[in-house]
Amino acid sequence: MSQLKLHELTVRHGDDALVDVADLSLEAGRALTIVGESGSGKSLLAHALMGTIAAGLRVNGTMTLEGAHYDLADRANRKQLWGTELALLPQEPALALDPTMRVRGQVAEGSPGFRKDHASALRRADDALDHLGLGHATGAWPHTLSGGMAQRVTYAAATIGGARVLIVDEPTKGLDSDALDRLADLLSEHVAGGGLLITITHDLRLARRLGGDVLVMRDATVVEQGPADQVLTAPEHDYTRRLLAAEPSRWRYEWMAAPASDPSAEPLVLAEGLAKSYGDTELFRDVSLDIRPGERWALAGPSGVGKTTLGNILLRLTQPDRGTVRHHAAVSNGKLQKLYQDPALSFPARVRLADAMRDVVRGHQVPEGRVESLMGTLGLPDDLLGRLPGQVSGGELQRLAIVRAMLLEPALVFADEATSRLDPLTQERTMDCLMSELSRTGCALLLVTHDHELATAVADRHVRLGEAAPSHV
Amino acid sequence: MRTARRSEPSDVNTALVRPDAIAETSGRWSASRVLAASVLVVIAAFGIIGPLMLPDPATQDLSRFLEPPTWAEPLGRDDYGRSVIARLAHATRLSLVLAALCVGTALVLGTAAGIASAWFGGWVDAALRGLSEVLVALPALLVVLLFAALAADGSLWTLYIGLALVQWVEYFRVVRARSGLVLGSPAVEAASLLRLGPVHVLRRHLWPELRPLVTTLASLGMVTCILAVSTLGFIKVGLKPPRAELGLMVTEGFPFYDSAPWMSVAPVLVLFLLTACFLGLRRTEVTT
Repeated sequence: MSQLKLHELTVRHGDDALVDVADLSLEAGRALTIVGESGSGKSLLAHALMGTIAAGLRVNGTMTLEGAHYDLADRANRKQLWGTELALLPQEPALALDPTMRVRGQVAEGSPGFRKDHASALRRADDALDHLGLGHATGAWPHTLSGGMAQRVTYAAATIGGARVLIVDEPTKGLDSDALDRLADLLSEHVAGGGLLITITHDLRLARRLGGDVLVMRDATVVEQGPADQVLTAPEHDYTRRLLAAEPSRWRYEWMAAPASDPSAEPLVLAEGLAKSYGDTELFRDVSLDIRPGERWALAGPSGVGKTTLGNILLRLTQPDRGTVRHHAAVSNGKLQKLYQDPALSFPARVRLADAMRDVVRGHQVPEGRVESLMGTLGLPDDLLGRLPGQVSGGELQRLAIVRAMLLEPALVFADEATSRLDPLTQERTMDCLMSELSRTGCALLLVTHDHELATAVADRHVRLGEAAPSHV
Repeated sequence: MRTARRSEPSDVNTALVRPDAIAETSGRWSASRVLAASVLVVIAAFGIIGPLMLPDPATQDLSRFLEPPTWAEPLGRDDYGRSVIARLAHATRLSLVLAALCVGTALVLGTAAGIASAWFGGWVDAALRGLSEVLVALPALLVVLLFAALAADGSLWTLYIGLALVQWVEYFRVVRARSGLVLGSPAVEAASLLRLGPVHVLRRHLWPELRPLVTTLASLGMVTCILAVSTLGFIKVGLKPPRAELGLMVTEGFPFYDSAPWMSVAPVLVLFLLTACFLGLRRTEVTT
């Protein structure tokens, strides 16, 4: 029975401990999932194990694999294990692929003996891709793959060397539930085949699917560990409880009471018979909907079905192929705002946030002190404004984006996957901030998400795309 | 712990997309940039103050033909008995001023045209791109020579117009490409939904992104300009004697290289230092 043990692992930056884990053991056939919020040190643990950790960090500890001991302070001693014993499925698989190589050759490169025998390596790559249901895409370029497909290709490339220890780092960012299911099946298959699996995630759905053991990390240390069904149903530590309660299906907030909608009110946005296709691919057709003041709409569906495109058409940022969108006067002149999936890209990158905010305040004669009071309401410290967007965490920056949007007292806010890259606790905090502001001002919401739970928790009117015809629920 | 919590979420957002975003704020000057800048300051001071204090560079004194360097005359005298250091100061001033004028004009025109092209698109873009491609297709020195030939008197104006005309294309192409990316970004879309207007987009979005690019291009442009003027002087199609010009001075010094080496070494040294320093002034972490 193969086994992996970690002993006294610490990762330090100066005097700060970033990871401090006493003992950890992992057995073949039993998945280990590490959960926790961003910044708790989960990913650092994985990279310390691989020997791929950033140069400025000090690592201490030992690893035992198959009876052999490795000193983790030496980054190089595990290099010969990469691919054959140890493999890492990185965050953002789409960025891990070489954009100038076709899928097949890229996967074959990792196969042992590739240098000597290209033909059989390519055959193995074909088999691996075929097994993952990508037999049709072996000749594709990485940019043509969807997020889920790119992840399976990366999985094939990482595992073709036959590594028994597989480390998976935040695999669920931006994946819809179908892709998540497929990924969970793959990982379970790896475990069932006698592999060792460490999954690092903030997605509790994945942790539940994988079973095995769960380890909850917070502020560099392990706060709770045990079998998945026990930790994820009857948590003992307060932090684990909060983590579980952060799932949208368990939210309980005042703003969740359906807002009074007035069917006789003039619609803010009136869309009729919308259709859009890119090239030969039809995204949707005959979509009609009216958004009235204070309503909460969700556009849900798997990735790549045109949810964001439909939202942009409703905001008149994109032209539909057919159909019309009419806006009421109440949403003219800045009363229609959008929140982006990556808030760092929605602020000017090289300008301090204070300057970016001041332009909004001046341009719209926002009353003095409104920024500060809104920031206070959303729990943001004032000193954030002195920084550049890249120096603020994703959750805080998204809340700043909410502040910026609310300065104009909008009538409709379009949230485009605004929380899909945040961990559950941060997502809950951000959504609570957004929805409290919206319900306080009676602003309408158009939410694009691939997360059905989130859509159900937040919106009361749903449009599902990606089925035969868009359906209203 | 604080650093860790703040830096990890931005791993994905920024580290991969804009590795330079944070480096930008620290803005420390490396030792080589400091050295390059200080040598440039010295040369510029020589070019500005020198002509005011030194004797007239055109005064001839044939009795002092090829006089070797002395304390009073650190670079000696040339074949007409003119003070070499006075001529060098005038030549340096001419090179720097002409190059600065050309680069300034090219930078303003090229940047404005590049932004206009990316902003308006359509026929504005097509026309400007066509014009720039015509100029790219011609060798740069040929364009300058054509202009120099138009006015055979070797006047400064033709050189200036010729060089500026050749150089704006570089700024145009780089600025147009980068502006297209910036204007298509979510940040600019958000700014338009916030109704912040074109001034905000120019000042907060475009200029901060373009500034490092155009300053790098400008320091390269200074080198190109200085070398082009002296190359033309060297082959005697640029400025005409008796004007003091670095390239001309090199040519004029060559016949006396064994008896009066200071005559040709001094302008070559100034050219070398100017080139090396402008190249050394560039940021090494230029954004790609």
